[in-house]
Amino acid sequence: MPVDTKRVRGPEESQSPLLFLPSIAKKSVAAERGRQDGRRRGQADVRPVFARCGLVSQAKGSAYIEAGNTKLICSVFGPREAERKDEAGASSGRLLCDLRFAPFSCPNRGAWIPSSEDKDTAQGLLEALRPGVRLHRYPRAQIEVNVLVLENDGSALAHAITCASMALADAGIEMYDVVLGCSLRLDGNSFLLDPTLQEETAGEPGAQGSVTVALLPSLNQVSGLQADGDMREDTLAEAVRACMEGCHKLYPVIQRALLRAVHKRASPSES
Amino acid sequence: MAAGLMRLPVFRKQETVSESNEKHLVVPGDVITSDTGFMRGHGTYMDEEKLTASVAGEVERVNKLICVRPLKTRFYGEVGDVVVGRITEVQQKRWKVETNSRLDSVLLLSSVNLPGGELRRRCAEDELAMRDYLQEGDLINAEVQSVFSDGALSLHTRSLKYGKLGQGVLVQVSPSLVKRQKTHFHNLPCGASIILGNNGYIWLYPTPGQQDEEAGGFHTSMEPVSLPDREVISRLRNCILALATHKVMLYDTSVLYCYESSRPHEIKDLLKPEVMEEVVMITRQRLVEQAG
Amino acid sequence: MAAVQVCEAEKVYIMHGVRDDLRVDGRGCEDYRHMEIETDVVSNTDGSARVKLGYTDVLVGIKAEIGKPKPAAPDEGYLEFFVDCSANATPEFEGRGGEELGSELSCTLYKVFNNVNSLELRALCIAPREHCWVLYVDVLLLQCDGNLFDAISIAIKAALFNTRIPKVTITEGEEGGAELELSDDPYDCVRLNVENVPCIVTLCKIGHRHVVDATLQEKACSVAGLLVSVTHKGTITCVRKVGGGSLEPESIFEMTETGKRVGKALHAPLMKLLRDEEAQGKQRQKVGFLG
Repeated sequence: MPVDTKRVRGPEESQSPLLFLPSIAKKSVAAERGRQDGRRRGQADVRPVFARCGLVSQAKGSAYIEAGNTKLICSVFGPREAERKDEAGASSGRLLCDLRFAPFSCPNRGAWIPSSEDKDTAQGLLEALRPGVRLHRYPRAQIEVNVLVLENDGSALAHAITCASMALADAGIEMYDVVLGCSLRLDGNSFLLDPTLQEETAGEPGAQGSVTVALLPSLNQVSGLQADGDMREDTLAEAVRACMEGCHKLYPVIQRALLRAVHKRASPSES
Repeated sequence: MAAGLMRLPVFRKQETVSESNEKHLVVPGDVITSDTGFMRGHGTYMDEEKLTASVAGEVERVNKLICVRPLKTRFYGEVGDVVVGRITEVQQKRWKVETNSRLDSVLLLSSVNLPGGELRRRCAEDELAMRDYLQEGDLINAEVQSVFSDGALSLHTRSLKYGKLGQGVLVQVSPSLVKRQKTHFHNLPCGASIILGNNGYIWLYPTPGQQDEEAGGFHTSMEPVSLPDREVISRLRNCILALATHKVMLYDTSVLYCYESSRPHEIKDLLKPEVMEEVVMITRQRLVEQAG
Repeated sequence: MAAVQVCEAEKVYIMHGVRDDLRVDGRGCEDYRHMEIETDVVSNTDGSARVKLGYTDVLVGIKAEIGKPKPAAPDEGYLEFFVDCSANATPEFEGRGGEELGSELSCTLYKVFNNVNSLELRALCIAPREHCWVLYVDVLLLQCDGNLFDAISIAIKAALFNTRIPKVTITEGEEGGAELELSDDPYDCVRLNVENVPCIVTLCKIGHRHVVDATLQEKACSVAGLLVSVTHKGTITCVRKVGGGSLEPESIFEMTETGKRVGKALHAPLMKLLRDEEAQGKQRQKVGFLG
């Protein structure tokens, strides 16, 4: 996205009015036994997912995914001749990942220029996708993956992983397996699988953590793992297992969406 | 585990060069002589009729020729040197080899022994299959065949003792620490073999059984090396590093003495500076005793 | 990272060695290399430390400055991390070469400290919504020989221990506003409680086992690794998969278990060493960069 540096972009420093809101919402989540959207705590209860391939006609492959209010779009370009040639690129291809949050995707307005945290999320996406793609089949080439978060209502990275792997599959890139992502929020002693943005930010301080797992479901390999927060080792193991279960719940939906895209492309005479 | 591994740094006394040492040491810009009767050699230049050093090192005089030999340097190859190197590039009819010298060395396809005996003719297929013999990253040992005018080395492996290296450990030290000897290949009595490359690359490997002559040195065994062999190799590696840190010349006897004096210590303890110092001191004493 | 080439046969040798619990340099799978730690090495900082791990050499300087608290946390100070990959370490860092690695390292450090327990951030607050201490943690890589994360985290913990923040008192100004007054006694300062600061343990999967404190050669043999940051109580504050490969779920559990055990054991000797060093006070001979 180009940034117009000459345009006056309002005062140097501005803050979202939400900060001045008395924090009522913070307690309500913790107090309830269940969750606001009716899902259960500690269960592999993911939000219903809507996924579709091939929305961006200009891209080699693309996908759109919607989970609750989290909405993402991903397009894949390439493989094409690599721009930067280094020694490592000679035998296998390069995968480039870009992940951006639209400025209006979060309650607080973001900047168009990705912050270092966004870059880090993109790095997480890259590391989760790379084991799934058969890059050695594309020597000297590069594949670009661009993810745009239109609306962020929690678990953005996890859904970005799923969305990007669908787009890669849609682009006809060779892959070992699809890559599925799932996040989890640790709140006190219970899990909130596939948390919403409110659940991600709320809760008592000191007893939280978040875990994101990327899974290659049919090979049963974990391709990405990120965890923050203060947690015990057995809690972490349990959280990883719960995320893997969440990924398996997503698997049939994604498979069906991909199959539908393949059917659509197949010549109509056969059907 | 971690206990005893962390510590404060301590001053280690530098091994000072005694002033009475007759070695003539210079730094760049030092006037060696203003006598015009001498000839200008490597590491020197003429400045207003005065012979001046251009590198830090030791002055060497051969009759009328004055050279300065730098003490820390890259490898200056000479014909006949044994080197250990790593393939960096496969080109048409030749490999580029990294040998710690200023420029990458060259190994021509015509200077290797291909499988099938010495008298085999090279054909176009061999040129295409070059990467099957040696690919990027492979280690080889070779001999310097000739030196090009720009200082690059041309290597050859036309002997059964040269060729591709298999399983083992590479240790890199300064080339000036490797003592020139009649042979640089040793089967040490402690159970491992060593190639002391003149370029400061030292290869440690398990002593091979009988050689398979047909393979022409391109076949490498991927069989696991036994644990006792590994222990010997790891100990040797740490010994060589200890000797190199304390600037002891490396040759079969010094390595072997160091190995023997390190026996009371565990292998991983040899990474500690004070153990290194102790082991090297004992080695030095033994070497002096033997010489005297 | 500095590229090290390792050929197939060497890889096989290293892999079998890891299987037999005897690595190339004689260490076992869970052994660290020799480590040297010194604090208070740079005089212009509020706290500094230098850690040498094998040939890896890391220098950390901490500077405290007064800033405005973040609106999201009005009663807390905050930390800023910056990792500089100096071209001194390896020519590949020249120009912008080290930028990618530097930002990866600093992002990970933010994640590691992104929880309430690691450091008492409230203690860094001077006046809520108005003034707080900002600790700039600058990491300099002087030499790279593998396992940067672990060395950096240990150096940061040591530097934070060494940090002394001058005491600030708030007085009523002439025009009614609050005024900050810095104590001019250099010994009148605040220390940080570093008990809970985590250390990072990087585990590299080689063959079917995993090793800690991998050298560059060993790292070249590993396709995937796990970075675990562990506190002295054995809780885990951050986990990340690193490298281009994937891991089996079982090995992830094994690796976090090892990471926790090894990481937990790092803290006690580190704290003991830091206290000993402090106890020696002025009598200690500083080694600095001459060692």
